[in-house]
Amino acid sequence: MAGSGKSDTARLGIKMSQELVVGVISAVLFLVFSATLNNFLSQGNILAILKNVSILGTLAVGMGFIVVGRGIDLTMVAVMVVGVAFSIWISTWGVDFTLAVVFGAILVAAIGLFTGVMVAVAEIPPIFATLAIASSVYGSGRIVFASDVLYAPSGIGWLKFVGNGTIFGIPMSVIIFAAVAALMGFFLRKTRFGRLVYATGDNPNAARTTGLPTRPIIVTQYVISALIAYTAGIIMLGLVTGIDTRLYNSSLIYDVLLVVVLGGIGLSGGQGGVRNVIVGTILVGILTNGMTILNFSYTSQNLIKSVILLGALAIDAIINPRDEQTSQSGDI
Amino acid sequence: MKLFKNCLFVGMTALTLLGAAKITTAQETDQVGRSTYLEALKGKKVIFVPISQGMDLNQAWVVVWQRHAARYGFTLEVRDPSGDTNAGIRAMQGAIAEKPDLIIVQNPDVQTYARLLKQAQAAGIKVLQVNMQSATQTDSYVGNDWIEMGRLEMGELAKHCTGPNAVSHKVVWLAGVQTGAANIYMRTGIDEVLKANPELQLVSDQPADYMSEKARQITETVLQQHPDLCGIMGIWDNAEVGAGAAVAAAGKQDQVTIVTNGAGSATGCESIKNGLLDVIFNFNAPIQAEIAAQQISELLQQSGRQAGSEKTIFFGPITRVDKANATGRNCWKLDELK
Repeated sequence: MAGSGKSDTARLGIKMSQELVVGVISAVLFLVFSATLNNFLSQGNILAILKNVSILGTLAVGMGFIVVGRGIDLTMVAVMVVGVAFSIWISTWGVDFTLAVVFGAILVAAIGLFTGVMVAVAEIPPIFATLAIASSVYGSGRIVFASDVLYAPSGIGWLKFVGNGTIFGIPMSVIIFAAVAALMGFFLRKTRFGRLVYATGDNPNAARTTGLPTRPIIVTQYVISALIAYTAGIIMLGLVTGIDTRLYNSSLIYDVLLVVVLGGIGLSGGQGGVRNVIVGTILVGILTNGMTILNFSYTSQNLIKSVILLGALAIDAIINPRDEQTSQSGDI
Repeated sequence: MKLFKNCLFVGMTALTLLGAAKITTAQETDQVGRSTYLEALKGKKVIFVPISQGMDLNQAWVVVWQRHAARYGFTLEVRDPSGDTNAGIRAMQGAIAEKPDLIIVQNPDVQTYARLLKQAQAAGIKVLQVNMQSATQTDSYVGNDWIEMGRLEMGELAKHCTGPNAVSHKVVWLAGVQTGAANIYMRTGIDEVLKANPELQLVSDQPADYMSEKARQITETVLQQHPDLCGIMGIWDNAEVGAGAAVAAAGKQDQVTIVTNGAGSATGCESIKNGLLDVIFNFNAPIQAEIAAQQISELLQQSGRQAGSEKTIFFGPITRVDKANATGRNCWKLDELK
């Protein structure tokens, strides 16, 4: 529980509370659904919930990492679909698929590097830089691949394992999500680089004045988030055998951002961690699963989802009223 | 004498042949009505506003229409909003402002372009709608009979999921976009079948938004609730592979019948062969495109006819494709159409 922000108990309080509020709402929903819905509490359904949020959660870990450093990465979905589509596309020339996936990773890292340079060196505000880059990445992909939906070649053993394999009964997609989250948690908490990310996010100018290498830190962040997005894309490819580039046009990127903010990572940077992302992901997972079981219509699902999310933010605002510091650091 | 006779015969035959050849060439240069036809189509401008050109059916249509345009001298411009409805509205507004001779449109839903289509016809531009209709009826619609499609798909499930041998009577409708024409009309057809087969139990009716991952998630959740599920019907083969993946992951491929529709591209046939899908009601996009090409010709020829004065509808063919006939023309590849 503890371990972060030891020097700043006030901020620790805010973070804990938002996380707690969301955690409590998740717990309440979980209890209500367990009591009222058949099979909700079954092992199969719990695994289904986790499996269904593994892609969203993986993306949110990457986004959370960027937001902690006071950035935002709207390229994630574009990078995910174009990176994976690129690897499928080059495999159709006869390149071995596994090698093609490596090439895809290299392309994705290069895009992340470019985004990082635009943000850190050219100093374009991340929201605009990533919005523009997302659009160009998706656009270039559309021109090159022609088709929206690209299918992986059949008979790739490891890809099937990513989609359908289990270890001790836990689906691989959930294990990959857990591994990415655990690695990121360790990275943020235990490494010097991780602490520098917090310092940069908390106050970039102070960090730079103190002599921290803020630019390399920011560039590295975007490369890592691009690679995490690519990982999420590979999970999806394993699960459904194809990648649909139209996902770029869906609300996925906002869902990812929502999970991050809902979990309690402030957009002003410097606070929160992987645990917040997990709490937010689990709430969205439980909600979606319960409403799908109840067979709510699409419109009422959206309505209920937004009311609960708004409720969580409102409760947080009442418990943690704005003070001078939070209003100065600013939100988007 | 015989020699003379033979010579005469050969000579006359040669003359007749020559004459006939001359007449034939004269006729070839002027096939009845051809020059009028060419004149009517030449230099005309047609603009197509699709939902997204990245979809298999759209690619097939445009390949066929471009060939038609190149052969008969009109131009076909594709203004691709790439699945973005706002960009689609701008594309439509731009197209109307340019005053082409014909606008072809694939509507994202029944409302978005409804007023724009009226405006286009008021401005004297003829409008051909393909496969996805608007609430506004225009000069022509070429595409699916979606009510029939809903009836066929649910009818297929009724075959498997009623009677004493059925696993259960539970079926799922994985919708697309709820405001889309295909969705609305298919639902009417589905309801007819459900009414005729009261034992069928529709346990889930959720939109997968034409996305395979969403279809997979819904199917996985529903399978947890209804492990004895009998059938799933959907709206696009490329999305329902996600449902197929969830069923395969649960090891229930023999139990759950998955029925959907599609443009008839080879990827759909692959999905049948891989066991991800059981039946695709194939609306053969290349044939749809040929019917639409005929409509393009007709609308361009009738230059005197006022836009929107007559309204016609052409439903394309629908073929039931399963493992037995997932070959040949039922599985086209884009390169083969070119």
